[in-house]
Amino acid sequence: MSAVIEIRNLRKAFRGHLGIGSHVAVDDLTLSVAPGEIFGLLGPNGAGKTTTLKMLLALVKPDSGTVELFGRSPRDVEARKRLGFLPENPYFYDYLTAVEFLDLYGRLHHLGAAERKRRIDAAIERVGLTGRERTPLRKFSKGMVQRVGLAQAIQHDPELVILDEPMSGLDPVGRREVRDLILALKAQGKTIFFSSHILQDAEMICDRVAILFKGKLRAIGRLDDLASPTAKWVEVTVRGPVPDGVPGTRRVNPDGTTLLTVTGFDALAPVVSAVTAAGGTIAGVWPRRESLEDLFLREIGRAKTEERAS
Amino acid sequence: MTAIAAVALNTFREAIRDRVLYLLLAVALVVVAGSRFVAMLTVGSETKIVKDLGLAAVSIFGLLIAVFIGVSLVSKEIERRTVYTLLAQPVARWQFVAGKYAGLLLVLAANVLVVGGSVLAAVGLLGESPWGLVPAMALIFVELGVVAAFAILFSSFTNPILAAVGTFAVYVAGHLSWSFDLLKKRVTTGAGRQLCDILHAVLPNLDRLDLKADAVHGAAIPAGTFAAAAVYGLCYAAAVVVLACIVFERREFA
Amino acid sequence: MTRSLFPAALFLAAVAGATLSRARIVALEAPRAGTKELLYLPNGKYLKAASLGQASVVADLVYLWAIQYYSDYDRADRYTYVEHVFGKVIPELDPRFVDPYWLGALILTTEAQDLDSGLRLLELGAEKNPREWIFLFLAGWECDHVKDYDRAAAYFERAARVPDAPAPLVRLVAGMRARGGNLREAIAKWEEVLADPRGDEASQAIARRQLRTLQVRADVKDLEEAIASFRERQGAMPRRLDDLVRAGFLKRLPLDPDGKAYRYDAASGTVTSDASRVLGS
Repeated sequence: MSAVIEIRNLRKAFRGHLGIGSHVAVDDLTLSVAPGEIFGLLGPNGAGKTTTLKMLLALVKPDSGTVELFGRSPRDVEARKRLGFLPENPYFYDYLTAVEFLDLYGRLHHLGAAERKRRIDAAIERVGLTGRERTPLRKFSKGMVQRVGLAQAIQHDPELVILDEPMSGLDPVGRREVRDLILALKAQGKTIFFSSHILQDAEMICDRVAILFKGKLRAIGRLDDLASPTAKWVEVTVRGPVPDGVPGTRRVNPDGTTLLTVTGFDALAPVVSAVTAAGGTIAGVWPRRESLEDLFLREIGRAKTEERAS
Repeated sequence: MTAIAAVALNTFREAIRDRVLYLLLAVALVVVAGSRFVAMLTVGSETKIVKDLGLAAVSIFGLLIAVFIGVSLVSKEIERRTVYTLLAQPVARWQFVAGKYAGLLLVLAANVLVVGGSVLAAVGLLGESPWGLVPAMALIFVELGVVAAFAILFSSFTNPILAAVGTFAVYVAGHLSWSFDLLKKRVTTGAGRQLCDILHAVLPNLDRLDLKADAVHGAAIPAGTFAAAAVYGLCYAAAVVVLACIVFERREFA
Repeated sequence: MTRSLFPAALFLAAVAGATLSRARIVALEAPRAGTKELLYLPNGKYLKAASLGQASVVADLVYLWAIQYYSDYDRADRYTYVEHVFGKVIPELDPRFVDPYWLGALILTTEAQDLDSGLRLLELGAEKNPREWIFLFLAGWECDHVKDYDRAAAYFERAARVPDAPAPLVRLVAGMRARGGNLREAIAKWEEVLADPRGDEASQAIARRQLRTLQVRADVKDLEEAIASFRERQGAMPRRLDDLVRAGFLKRLPLDPDGKAYRYDAASGTVTSDASRVLGS
């Protein structure tokens, strides 16, 4: 199965004002996205995520390297037929109603009139805008604009959906709805590629992630694989006495219980036995692995150290 | 083809819902209606005033529409980033530009029809046959087509203000092209003369699309002249639009 | 490769089409009469309104255009619109623009031989610019040119009365009167010049010379008139100038400016004087 998105050694630098100085936005990026997966492109602001996305859509031309969608150049109209895109903080035409807006995009996908009507109605329902389709877009709230943008991205049933910061600016309910939509799209067999700096959402739905920092790829792969093996630990809350010699760090909670941090799941069973034997009660056991945020901050920290060293 | 039509229709919708358009249209119609009263002040032919003001209204308000709506068409989309989603669609960049231009032409055609129609009515009400004005109006539309092409060209690579200034400058220079003929007789051969020649050839000879005087004085316009002028305007506008497409094709949206 | 060539080819095709059709338009244009251009030069008032506050600049542009326009001597119907352009259009835009008035007048008087229209333009200029003496001066000059000395003198008189007009203008008045044969007024004028306390050495010297000449001319004229009357009545020329006094045709004999008597040639009946050997009479 060939990759939906194939990026090889992508590089893009922007020249500064009046030609003075240059800023490398994307530096030697290589990644590929397989069909049917949810891929998250993560990184702090200014890491080069949006520039990468723009190169995916032929809005920006790379200095060197290749970008392929479905094995074709993004400038190829055929490739763009199979994708849907939602930019960050979208504006749409104020003077159009939701239906007129979606109709325009439907026409650009060469859908017939009846087909357009069917898909527009379906998309509106899917994003939860039923009843508002005849309202002019300038009256929409930010969340509603986001939804109509999503509607536009999916109405023509694309194989690949590209989203730039789809959760930004939404309240928790909105974010939940977007997450659910993305998962539903995956269930339909679509590939989703999105960029974000909200790590919790990415953690919840991504199959694979790539972490970008200052244009360079710092980490890429499945979350489980990326998280350092030493980072899997268990948090055990104990009421009562805790015997000495128990491996792992301990901390006393404000309510008098002790929090034991035990490294590695294997060490859990002996610790529980030891505590119970000492007379303590196990109040809670939480297996944890390094969260995406931890990983993220670790990578960023490492990158900064490298930078300072060089 | 449907892509161009879709963009054109959208552009037309956008312009139609712009209040500025209605303001300009209203003023133009007031001028036409008012010309009737202004004409009462003259001694001699009343219809000349009505025809003059009427054709001026069609021309000037058409020009304002072509420039102000034209420059915002592409610039605004880029500024507000609506262009991103649009270009992510299976539509080629040149289709986007061509569609914008077609939409603008539709708006201009509507303007010429509405204001021009009212001029014809005003002249007809004075008891004179207004049909002699039609060729002049047709060429006004062609002239507006050239101006609109420049508006689209400039707005595909600069901000709205510079694009507007540039388009107006081209319009003024285009109407002064007769002075190049005079200059050429005075300026001796050399670098200055060559510059004159180049400018004269490159700038649109908008004064050659201006048959208003002939129309107003009832002079018959030979079909050959009209055809040549119309073809000139169309070819020129086409060249500029193609140029705009080429420029837009290479543009980056950082 | 072909994809990137296509737009360029299209562009060139459109440019070619434009160039060819333009050449056709130019070819068809040639027989158009030149005055058609002027049909559309509107009345100055409208142009002023249209100039949106840049009336002065527009006046300059119209003037520059007019100069080019009138430099073309092959034009048919050259003079039909001169007064319109220089008298109605430009003055409406900028009445104090001095040059167009006299340039237009020059075209009219010198080329079109139309003195009255030229004078009208100059009068307009004078009316709009009461502190400019140049228009009246030029008007006088034009009248002098066609030997209309009375009108010339009247214009120079008006010119001289403009505040800060150069002093020599008064002399021109006197000169014109003299040329026109109006000797008495010429003399009066020269006496005025002489009496002017602001007058300089040169003016006074000229005035004195002129007065001498004019006095001789006036005396000669009187004498010759008396001689003619004598001949008519008496049937013969007087033998001596005294005869005129004795016969009552003259009250007394005038003396020339040097105080000498006038010489009389009874054969030809002419009167001469040594003093007349000054600036031609």
